[in-house]
Amino acid sequence: MSKSSSPSSTELIDRYLHAVRFWLPKAQQQDIIAELSEDLHSQIEEKESELGRPLNETEMDVLLKQRGRPVLVANRYLPQRSLIGPVLFPIYWFVLKVVAFFYLVPWVLVWIGMMSFSSSYRAQHIAAGWFAAIASAWSALWSTAFFALGAVTIVFVVLEQVQAKSHFLENWNPRKLPPARNPNQIPRSGSVIEVVANLVFGIWWIDIMSRVMSTRVILDRPEIRIVLSPVWRYFFWGFLLLALINTAAAGVNLARPYWTVPRASLRLVTDATASGLFCWMSLSKLDALAEITIPKLIPGQMQAVTNAINLAMARAFPFALVAGVVILLADAYRILRVKNTVPAQLKGEISAAVV
Amino acid sequence: MANGTQSAPEILENLKLELRRGCLIVAVLAQLRAEQYGYTLRKALADDGLAIDEGTLYPLLRRLETQGLLVSQWREEDKRNKRFYRLSPAGEQTLTQLLGEWQNINTSLNKILQEASL
Repeated sequence: MSKSSSPSSTELIDRYLHAVRFWLPKAQQQDIIAELSEDLHSQIEEKESELGRPLNETEMDVLLKQRGRPVLVANRYLPQRSLIGPVLFPIYWFVLKVVAFFYLVPWVLVWIGMMSFSSSYRAQHIAAGWFAAIASAWSALWSTAFFALGAVTIVFVVLEQVQAKSHFLENWNPRKLPPARNPNQIPRSGSVIEVVANLVFGIWWIDIMSRVMSTRVILDRPEIRIVLSPVWRYFFWGFLLLALINTAAAGVNLARPYWTVPRASLRLVTDATASGLFCWMSLSKLDALAEITIPKLIPGQMQAVTNAINLAMARAFPFALVAGVVILLADAYRILRVKNTVPAQLKGEISAAVV
Repeated sequence: MANGTQSAPEILENLKLELRRGCLIVAVLAQLRAEQYGYTLRKALADDGLAIDEGTLYPLLRRLETQGLLVSQWREEDKRNKRFYRLSPAGEQTLTQLLGEWQNINTSLNKILQEASL
């Protein structure tokens, strides 16, 4: 220690070194602190000989502050450690985003759907008021997020340890990389499946509906008779029109396998219409869709069956809504993506393929 | 910090740090061809234009010693215990190789710069 330093300065140095020591591994504490102490005293000695007097407390404060916070000084002697290192971090971040999008977003949409359209669910949750319902949902969302993202984090912490020992990520084969695919390219196999599926559906739909729409009787047996209500003509023509448009669009996609803004927009419109029809169906009461007669059932039992079907349809609505929203968001994203990439990347490729 | 949030001086400072990191190791090894203790080593590097703070130097010295490139010894001088470092035989060999590599990099860089200026 510098002989010229004042007692309070000496105490300050001791306190500083003690604080650094706290964060160091036991086996190295003595060695590192002895060397730091020597360096510190050499620096003080030099300063004091320059000034021709002992350092005062302010100058000592400045000198120690320049050296840095004790925990940071100690940290430089420790091996670099991280729960998830730079090798795995990009994969970890990608998985977190996927989990957030495919788990938490649907969770929120289902909650909104249930609160909006399921009277029993709404009644159960707003008993203590809307504010309490939102607070409860917010809390449940955070618990869900905490467990989902926490589980992902724990898995990656374990993977990090395994990777540090086995270096399994270094063992890879360039030939197993996925093919470089243009996101705006439409796989021909997908278009073929769409054409076939829409044609099969369209033929089946015409066959069924041509037999049903004149009398609207879909089932006529002694034990049960089901008569569709007139509203079904909207569903009949709606779904038939969609099947025809989708068949034609898939045919064009097959011939010109790149998304363009008009075709991506058409897909958005047809998906929106289909989602609207599904939601309309699931929101309708059974009485509005069909008349069911089961002669063996007494009126009370018939009412119970009707109520059960109505409840099942009402419960299906939030899921139909969520599926519709997700599909429409994907369609909207596709339009934006095509708009942004067409001029830069696909100008040459698409110029011959634009509808 | 993401690059998008860094100012131009911060980017330059980080690039300078990256550039200096490898050079400092060569400089420390070269300085320790003659035995020195930490503080005088730091002063000598600063006097030659390569200032290094103690928070970087001492952990680096310990790492180089763990790698067998330096040897150290506690000894009393001017009534204080000081830890003296010097290059080990393995360190001397490594320094020679690193200086060769340094020359190669320097030659390549000069060539690239000359080509760029044409």
